[in-house]
Amino acid sequence: MELIYLLITPALAAGLCLIPAGKKWAPAVTILGTLATLILSWGAALRTARGEEVVALANWISCDSFGALMALLVAFVGFTAAIFSWGYMERIVAPNNPGKIRRYYARYNLFLLSMLAVPIFSQVALVWIAVELTTLLSVFLVSFENTPEALEAAWKYVVLTCMGAAFALLGVLMLYWGMSVSGPAPFTWAGLTGASTRVPPALLQAAFLLILIGFGTKAGLVPLHTWLPDAHSQAPSPVCALLSGVETTTILYAILRLLPILKAAPAIHAEKWFLTFGLLSVGAAAFLLIQVKDYKRLFAFSTVEHMGIILVAAGLGGSAAHYGATLQMVSHALSKSFCFFAAGSTLLAVRSRDISAVRGLIRTSPVAAVALLLGGLAIAGAPPFAVFLSEISILKAGLASGQYLTTGLLAVFIVIAFCGILFPINRMVFGNPGEPSRNRVLGATSVITLVLAAIPILLFGLYIPEPLHELLRLAAVSLGR
Amino acid sequence: MAELNMTLSVLTKLDALAGGLFLLTAFGLVAMRQVLASLNLFVLQSILLAASAFILGHQHDSIHLYAVAGITLAIKAVLIPWLLRRTISQEIYARREISQVLNIPTSLLLSVALMILAYFIASPLLSLGHEPFIKVNLPIGLAGLLLGAYMVMVRREAVPQVIGILAMENGAFFAGVAIAPDLPLIAELAAAFDVLIIALVMGLLTRRIHERVGTTAVGRMTSLKEE
Amino acid sequence: MANRIFFNVIQVLVVMALAPLVKGILNRLKENLQSKRGPSIFQPYRDIWKLFHKDEVVSEQSSWIFRFTPYVVFVTPIFVALLIPVLTGYPLFFAFMGDMLGGGFILALGGFFATLAAVDTANPYGPMGASRTRMVGFLAEPVFMIVFFTVSFVAGSTIPYIVHKHWVTPLANFFEPSHVLLMLAFVMLIIAEGGRIPVDNPSGHFELAMIDESKGLEYSGRGAALMKWGGSMKFFVLLCIFLNVLVAPWGLARGETLGEVLLAIPLVLVKIFVFILILTVIESSFAKLRLFRITEFLGAAFITSVAAMISRLLEI
Repeated sequence: MELIYLLITPALAAGLCLIPAGKKWAPAVTILGTLATLILSWGAALRTARGEEVVALANWISCDSFGALMALLVAFVGFTAAIFSWGYMERIVAPNNPGKIRRYYARYNLFLLSMLAVPIFSQVALVWIAVELTTLLSVFLVSFENTPEALEAAWKYVVLTCMGAAFALLGVLMLYWGMSVSGPAPFTWAGLTGASTRVPPALLQAAFLLILIGFGTKAGLVPLHTWLPDAHSQAPSPVCALLSGVETTTILYAILRLLPILKAAPAIHAEKWFLTFGLLSVGAAAFLLIQVKDYKRLFAFSTVEHMGIILVAAGLGGSAAHYGATLQMVSHALSKSFCFFAAGSTLLAVRSRDISAVRGLIRTSPVAAVALLLGGLAIAGAPPFAVFLSEISILKAGLASGQYLTTGLLAVFIVIAFCGILFPINRMVFGNPGEPSRNRVLGATSVITLVLAAIPILLFGLYIPEPLHELLRLAAVSLGR
Repeated sequence: MAELNMTLSVLTKLDALAGGLFLLTAFGLVAMRQVLASLNLFVLQSILLAASAFILGHQHDSIHLYAVAGITLAIKAVLIPWLLRRTISQEIYARREISQVLNIPTSLLLSVALMILAYFIASPLLSLGHEPFIKVNLPIGLAGLLLGAYMVMVRREAVPQVIGILAMENGAFFAGVAIAPDLPLIAELAAAFDVLIIALVMGLLTRRIHERVGTTAVGRMTSLKEE
Repeated sequence: MANRIFFNVIQVLVVMALAPLVKGILNRLKENLQSKRGPSIFQPYRDIWKLFHKDEVVSEQSSWIFRFTPYVVFVTPIFVALLIPVLTGYPLFFAFMGDMLGGGFILALGGFFATLAAVDTANPYGPMGASRTRMVGFLAEPVFMIVFFTVSFVAGSTIPYIVHKHWVTPLANFFEPSHVLLMLAFVMLIIAEGGRIPVDNPSGHFELAMIDESKGLEYSGRGAALMKWGGSMKFFVLLCIFLNVLVAPWGLARGETLGEVLLAIPLVLVKIFVFILILTVIESSFAKLRLFRITEFLGAAFITSVAAMISRLLEI
């Protein structure tokens, strides 16, 4: 039942937000709503960590450990981003426009709903629809600031991802065909895994490639990633946190769900495809990072890199690598959202997007500077942050399974990206501020959010609590052996 | 039994006819210059999709497919053109697109190559289906998908790009009605509404771009780059 | 045997006699569709009669090609009429003398001589129109070829009678996608070769814009009559190829009696009339294409015919 509540709450919040009842109404409703979803998904995650599956409507709405993990991530980032939005939207985007702010929160809630729906639906056709909806409901969030660049970014976003979704649709329909050829079974992830041995391999391969290309466009895999830096940097920062942090991760979740199905047909070499696309993404992102001029774009390219790392981890095979993949998903979601909160704070302080325009941030706005520094270190994979732990576990698993070339390449690319992220941030945080700039004080909500979001990434870098460990382990098991 | 076979063969031929014309509309979408003509071709393509669904429904005697045909007609042939006309101002429709990325005869040749590619991709899968309809619908649906993708890449104006995406969905559904005829109706319904929302979102975005940037030549909006 | 020769002769006579009628019906129908009254359907006969009774004026600068061409243009459709099914569904005496490719080449021969004659006069509009006609012609050739190859692949032969027996007579084939696509490609071809809108305006008087009409500009008297008559016979022959071989073989005589063959004449005329109706509607709905857009038009015809061939070869 909680899953149904999980779906209803954001929808309700979206509706309530549109009521013009004062400036604080919409943000408050949203924050309460996201808090409720966080509690609900926490409950569901705890239940799945114990090994049981949460079922609301058999074969239609249910989630296992992997799904609950994703729902929890979405809910958490949704909660923190909602708190951040409160101060951010008022200050920067729509200073005196309560109507526009209400619409923002309504769309925010709907976007959250669609992202929650992806791991919760178990009918694969509905998962496709939820994935499509995550794009459509976020288009106007991306173009929210209504500048020509934002509109261009939104247009590229919607065109490329809808193209990918059409390819994925054909792939999903082919999967259905394969299943109906082999006998009646429910069209859920579990049903597909069960029926996969009876599905003709040619069909599985065609469907897999179509879905990989289709959903891969949405997840930002190279070479289909061209929309990602634009869309994830032109959106308002809390939306960027949602997009980069959890939306691409939920799409990757949908792709990774295919892995156990493809085990039945080893001739497809699904893992090789994952490795290829993953390494390509990590490499291309690492090199493209270097020449970026806008710090939000920097973080967006870093998203591409991390999606690649997760895909490589899934492709390496073996339970250790899969555990690393799920851990990486968690750590990336938390760290990337923190990075975007930091970027938003920087934007609040300096009002400019260019890396070259920001210097000596530590003097202008210490809170934003510290946050940016921490965020950069966290996402680049420095200890003692969570991303470091997950990347090390992936590299260890890769070495243990004997795939030295892949692991070596991965390590090289990670190092390149590390430098590519930290050099500009170093320049931004330290150094002489060019002209004396006013000391802008960040609002309380921004500070609260930064602290709230920083806690998990520090915590999980040092110690992973037992329920989370169980949850991750079960999620990794569901990825196949 | 012989009569059943005759009916089957007539239905197969009719379905093949719908498929051939579907393919022709896909080519036409690449070749047409006028924005309004591409919208009309899309309507024609959706009608052909509904016709194929209808024929298949007759063959399988399935209410599902009749419902799918009805939904397709209602949403794609009626609602979406109405929606696109409402959200985007009329003067955009009077435009012609003078230049595409590649000129039209080259585009047409590439479209033929894409069609052949679609047949090659689909041919190992065709041996799996027991029905003659799959032999027609799957390659043509895949070709429609690829041609729609090509159209999106090659056109510079906003409305033809929207129509290209809708044409891709048409292609996927054209293959889908043959290979997955008993997909749960809820999924079909939701997918149809999803296409509606795509049209709505893209239409509104086009209007906003037109208002803000002054032109709908979205292919020329390339300011977000790394130099 | 004698019957067959006789029917072949009747076929040629029918082509010669009815071609101007078809032209007249086309003109009248087009005017009617545009809410005008239009000339009488027998007007082309009167024109040809008038022209035969006028003096012929020939430029001194022109060579034997100019004098020779009207005869070529008149005779080539007659040769082709010997080869194709006009009235009967079974092969006649001369049917195996040439196949569809041969027929195509013979028609092209007539066009070739007309082009040469247009250049021969040294009138500025002649060569201009001639080069345009050649452009349309060379772009249309691949479409012809592919159409013929597709139908020959199905029938296993390139003789029109055999093609028509295997291609269209099984009724189920009518709805095949390759058939529909070939029909469309050939209609576009007829529009191009016959000089109809949207490729060319047959009733235009502006020499700078003429494509097909320019070949008859310099002729007078008997030459002009033969060019007109030959032109309308070529159109009739194209229509016969389209309707009797590729699309709708119904109404052709099955038996060997004279009565049946004569009965086939009005039936064929009815078929032609229906097609002319469609053609006139197309003509009245479109505007003339700019010259460079003609390449796109014929490119589309080419793609359609290639799509037809591929869908046939891949057994769809």
